Amino acid sequence: MTVAEPTLDVLSVSNLKVAYGGNLAVNVDALTVKKGEIVGVVGANGAGKSSLVNGLAGWSRGHARVTGQIKVGDLTVDNLPTYERVRSGLLLVPEGKLVFSHLTVHDNLTTAFDPASNDGRRIYAREEVYDLFPRLKERRDHLGSQLSGGERQMLGIGRALMLGPRLLMLDEPSIGLAPMLVSQVLHTMRTLAQAGLSVLLIEQNVKAALEVVDRLVLLERGTIVMQGSASEMANNPRIAQAYLGAHA
Amino acid sequence: MNLLQQIINGIVIGHAYALVAIGWTLLLGVARLVNFGHGQMYMLGAFVTWWAFAKAGVPYELAIPLAMVAGAMVGLFMQRVMLKATFEQNLVSIMIMTLGFGYVLHGLAALIFGSTGQILDSPWSAIEFEFGELWLTAQDLAIVVAAVMVFIGLNKLLNATRYGRLVRMVAEDPKLAELAGINVRRIYYGVFAFEGAAVAFAAGMVAPRTPILTSMGFDEVIMTFVVVVLGGIGSVRGSYVAGVGLGIFTSLFAALVAPAYTTAAAFVLLIAVLVLRPKGLGAGGGAH
Repeated sequence: MTVAEPTLDVLSVSNLKVAYGGNLAVNVDALTVKKGEIVGVVGANGAGKSSLVNGLAGWSRGHARVTGQIKVGDLTVDNLPTYERVRSGLLLVPEGKLVFSHLTVHDNLTTAFDPASNDGRRIYAREEVYDLFPRLKERRDHLGSQLSGGERQMLGIGRALMLGPRLLMLDEPSIGLAPMLVSQVLHTMRTLAQAGLSVLLIEQNVKAALEVVDRLVLLERGTIVMQGSASEMANNPRIAQAYLGAHA
Repeated sequence: MNLLQQIINGIVIGHAYALVAIGWTLLLGVARLVNFGHGQMYMLGAFVTWWAFAKAGVPYELAIPLAMVAGAMVGLFMQRVMLKATFEQNLVSIMIMTLGFGYVLHGLAALIFGSTGQILDSPWSAIEFEFGELWLTAQDLAIVVAAVMVFIGLNKLLNATRYGRLVRMVAEDPKLAELAGINVRRIYYGVFAFEGAAVAFAAGMVAPRTPILTSMGFDEVIMTFVVVVLGGIGSVRGSYVAGVGLGIFTSLFAALVAPAYTTAAAFVLLIAVLVLRPKGLGAGGGAH
């Protein structure tokens, strides 16, 4: 399902380590995401999935120490503060609290800067976000705190799209959502990827992830233990047994 | 009638309280910071205005902006020193550091301006309006108008502009604001510069009502504290209501009971409101 210029790496990571105190949560030798590609990262609780994407964004609600090389396109971002990584197109929709509860939907969709429209970044206007998620338009004057889990996901993704993402990182968008909403959110990712967006998708729901990703990465205790195309991974007995509940 | 005159005084003093408190309101609402050097920043604003006007011959209308620039610089400098503690939200350190800044400002001001009392004799104080037994100066009127305009302006800025929305995002969740691409550090600097400029503006407007001393500041910081807490931490509208209410309360209390106990009475009022409405009059978090 890969589309357009598959040789161009939007994200390339090497020797990424994320540690909390003395505990190494992530230790990834290499990871790349190509343009227009959706890469899923799956693994059990505590495998380091969130730490991985947070580390890439240089972001943490705790005290994480991140080392390693991170490139967005040709730009090395590992020395940049979070907001400058965001401005270079590395967008994270975090797990948990991802919208501003005291601001309306409309005000949540405010951009802090005018993203550069060169290097092929697609910048969504607020109205385009409303077209993509009509539900948000209906709720534009409601406060963030009044939204359901699915609406918050849409809002988080919508704000990210307005900032002209080159790589969109979603941390467990399916958590707490009804199955129908999960597939709606994930299929929206497919549409966006077809338009050239690259996505790094953290998912616990392996079955749902396999429906949309091009490539799947399995994380265990902070390291990549297996990766491959969606179909290879779906047929892999180890994945099937441990994550899909099949009796292979 | 005397009571009506007291109410008019109360309204003027109340607007003065609100105007003096506005910088701290935003500071607390956005950066979750306290500034116990606020009173001395008020003092500095008053003395810079006085110096520019009485000593350097700058017109009063230009002396105030000059004091605001000085106030903003002091604010930026303080924030620069406290930046790490701000990001860590280390309130105890910030409380002590700002208290220390207050004393340093007091010392510097005494060195530069001397420790004798001065009078900021603004041209507007000399213009009086009389209505029968009631009277009011142009300065009083200007304080009320300025306070109303500053509050309306700030409310508009926070709610209807892009910058205001970004400030509210930082107020609610600075971590999430980083992911929205906001340079949080710059917002903190902006808020502290606003605090400095706003309190200097307030000082330039309010100080002509009373003699000024480099040792003043305690009453101002205490009344600001009462206004900010009464209004509901960080609530712009709440601070306005609380300021005006407190002004009317203290001037009636001074006239009808005893002027010596007004600060104590203000605190009794504060405690009573906190028991009845723990979140203050304009309950709700964040800057609004």
